[in-house]
Amino acid sequence: MTQIEFWQGNTACAEGALAAGCRFFGGYPITPSTEIAEHMALKLPKKNGVFIQMEDEIAGIASVIGASWTGARAMTATSGPGFSLMMENIGYAAMTETPCVIVNVQRGGPSTGQPTMGAQGDMMQCRFGSHGDYSVIALCPASVQEMYELTVKAFNLSDEYRVPVFLMADEIVGHMREKIVVPDSVPYVSRKELVRGMPPFRVDIDLIPGFPQFGKGYGVHVTGLTHDERGYPCATNPKLHEALVKRLVNKIESARHTIANYEILNPDANQVFIAYGAPVRTVQQVMHDHPDKNIGFLRLRTVWPFAEFALKEFKNAKRFLVPELNLGQIAREIERYVDIPVISLPKLGGDLHTPAELLAALEVPQ
Amino acid sequence: MKLAIDETRCKGCNLCTKVCPYKIFKEGKKANRRGIIIPELDRPERCSNCRLMHLYGRTLCGVCQLICPDQAIHWVEEQPYEPQKVAIEY
Amino acid sequence: MSFEDWYRQDRLPHIFCAGCGNGTIINCTLAAIEQMAWKKEETVFVSGIGCSSRAPGYIAADSLHTTHGRAIAFATGVKLANPDLNVVVFTGDGDLAAIGGNHFIHGCRRNIDLTVVCMNNQIYGMTGGQGSPTTPRGCISSTTPYGCAETPFDLCELAIASGANYVSRWTSYHVKELEKSVLAGLQTPGFSFIEALVQCPTAFGRRNKFKQVSDQVDYLRTHTMLKAKRDRLLDQGQHIPPDMYIVGELARRNRPALGVK
Repeated sequence: MTQIEFWQGNTACAEGALAAGCRFFGGYPITPSTEIAEHMALKLPKKNGVFIQMEDEIAGIASVIGASWTGARAMTATSGPGFSLMMENIGYAAMTETPCVIVNVQRGGPSTGQPTMGAQGDMMQCRFGSHGDYSVIALCPASVQEMYELTVKAFNLSDEYRVPVFLMADEIVGHMREKIVVPDSVPYVSRKELVRGMPPFRVDIDLIPGFPQFGKGYGVHVTGLTHDERGYPCATNPKLHEALVKRLVNKIESARHTIANYEILNPDANQVFIAYGAPVRTVQQVMHDHPDKNIGFLRLRTVWPFAEFALKEFKNAKRFLVPELNLGQIAREIERYVDIPVISLPKLGGDLHTPAELLAALEVPQ
Repeated sequence: MKLAIDETRCKGCNLCTKVCPYKIFKEGKKANRRGIIIPELDRPERCSNCRLMHLYGRTLCGVCQLICPDQAIHWVEEQPYEPQKVAIEY
Repeated sequence: MSFEDWYRQDRLPHIFCAGCGNGTIINCTLAAIEQMAWKKEETVFVSGIGCSSRAPGYIAADSLHTTHGRAIAFATGVKLANPDLNVVVFTGDGDLAAIGGNHFIHGCRRNIDLTVVCMNNQIYGMTGGQGSPTTPRGCISSTTPYGCAETPFDLCELAIASGANYVSRWTSYHVKELEKSVLAGLQTPGFSFIEALVQCPTAFGRRNKFKQVSDQVDYLRTHTMLKAKRDRLLDQGQHIPPDMYIVGELARRNRPALGVK
């Protein structure tokens, strides 16, 4: 029996996490993500889970990674400044292939910026924020319903690919209240277990090693140093390092056709909007108000790994218009793949684009 | 049981020479193949703790093994009926 | 079974310099764990970054070698998510007191059921001998070439003030006492902190007039004073030399603890 609720985006995220089986939350309060922590603090103890408010965001993500190695589904939630603090340990999670979910309810930056206003300024940071080369998965919800569904998806992707997965929400979606249909059950993808006797970081064709859960007698050594397939540090072997880093990147990039989640509307259109997160809603409004205009729309739910193949679906496209709440972070990513003009429609300050602004952009002669 | 120094692990820090109550370990003189001067054992049969380990079923002193930072000191089983010179010190 | 069975034999000899005391501390910790009769599959070792933090890599149990200073935060996650696991943290003075100072005091405040063994060599060994928060005044390091002008941390006092249930200090010379102390720490529910002063012949001794490894060990031996003796001397109104390290069990109490199984 599905249940209809009127929830805030952050509540939906927390409820999605609980439904997905999240049993550990380690975090630090930060506007505008605090409601997730508050809701988890309220609900987790009743579900035999653990909520802990750590001393800072660094400790928050650290405790999440530690909990994840004991087999628990673990998450943290934060916003810009806290996200910056987490970066080192996010790199650690990528290197050690620790499944974990990091919710970033984005706010205006840089620095303390606009704590109560929405933005999408961390899209590049979540992809490249930690040092060194690695690859991650980032999901962008555009509604309260998606806050719920994509949180569940984030846990499943994280466990399947053994990678930190980011739910890159924004203050607008996080604090929005909306109708949501809560399903009575959600999909569950479990971690692939390590085969007994196998070296813990040996991989098959899927490039994803089996998970040696702590406390099960695997005796695994987990290190952020460059390690061989036994998990032992081996930091001065150039070939080994190259192979390891390439595998960390390839296990995500080579699976991007499977991971990618997007929606295509009017693939024959000349003018195509590409959006993710809150700006999706403005584009939807424009399309709803002007069904006669034949506007194309590529709506990304996964931003990383970037689904560049989706761009090729728009065979008649003359230009792509990319409304974002930043100065064109993903517009530039799109430019790398296409040879038609990519018009960035940046907006800073915390307000969404108005339908009129997007319409005006459509009217600009090509 | 008798004491033995694992030459592949010893790094020649001579900490064992400082702690043994019987002064069984003494600084070596000759460098081995890796250029490390391994301590020598001076009449290890004098260590009654080593000899009585089997009788008591546990490590009696073991300070040399505990302090060895390179895990190079251990005990090996003696051959049955291995002749032992009993040294009595006054 | 002896504590030697806890080592990953295929990883030895370890990377520590000749004469480094870290190996001694690992021996003592493992000997104490052996006495607890813990199983390998229910024991987890966590460490940060530095010489001391390489320790878990040589132990044949689940081990987490994490980022600089964050070992206690990671260990908090491990322990809370699965309280059945016994969690031991290896850390160093720079790792614990400098970059990880915040996690340290909050670990003590939460009184979470961890045993933290700090190998305090009073220097940053792995990066080549820079001054650390525990480098004594006047000591030479590569970043204090004219002598350290800062007052060092007393890690044990910090732990006691922050609320740890068990606090003790020994040196790498006092192996039996250290072993007993770690054992007491493992047995005590809540946060147990054991500081072990260790010699660092390569980065510290070489610059500070300890020509041989044994010179620094001798210094540690002669510059330690039992807490009981210190208390007695204080009662008698006598002077305690300022360069003395007070060793022994410094705190043992029963504050409410977190994560106890």
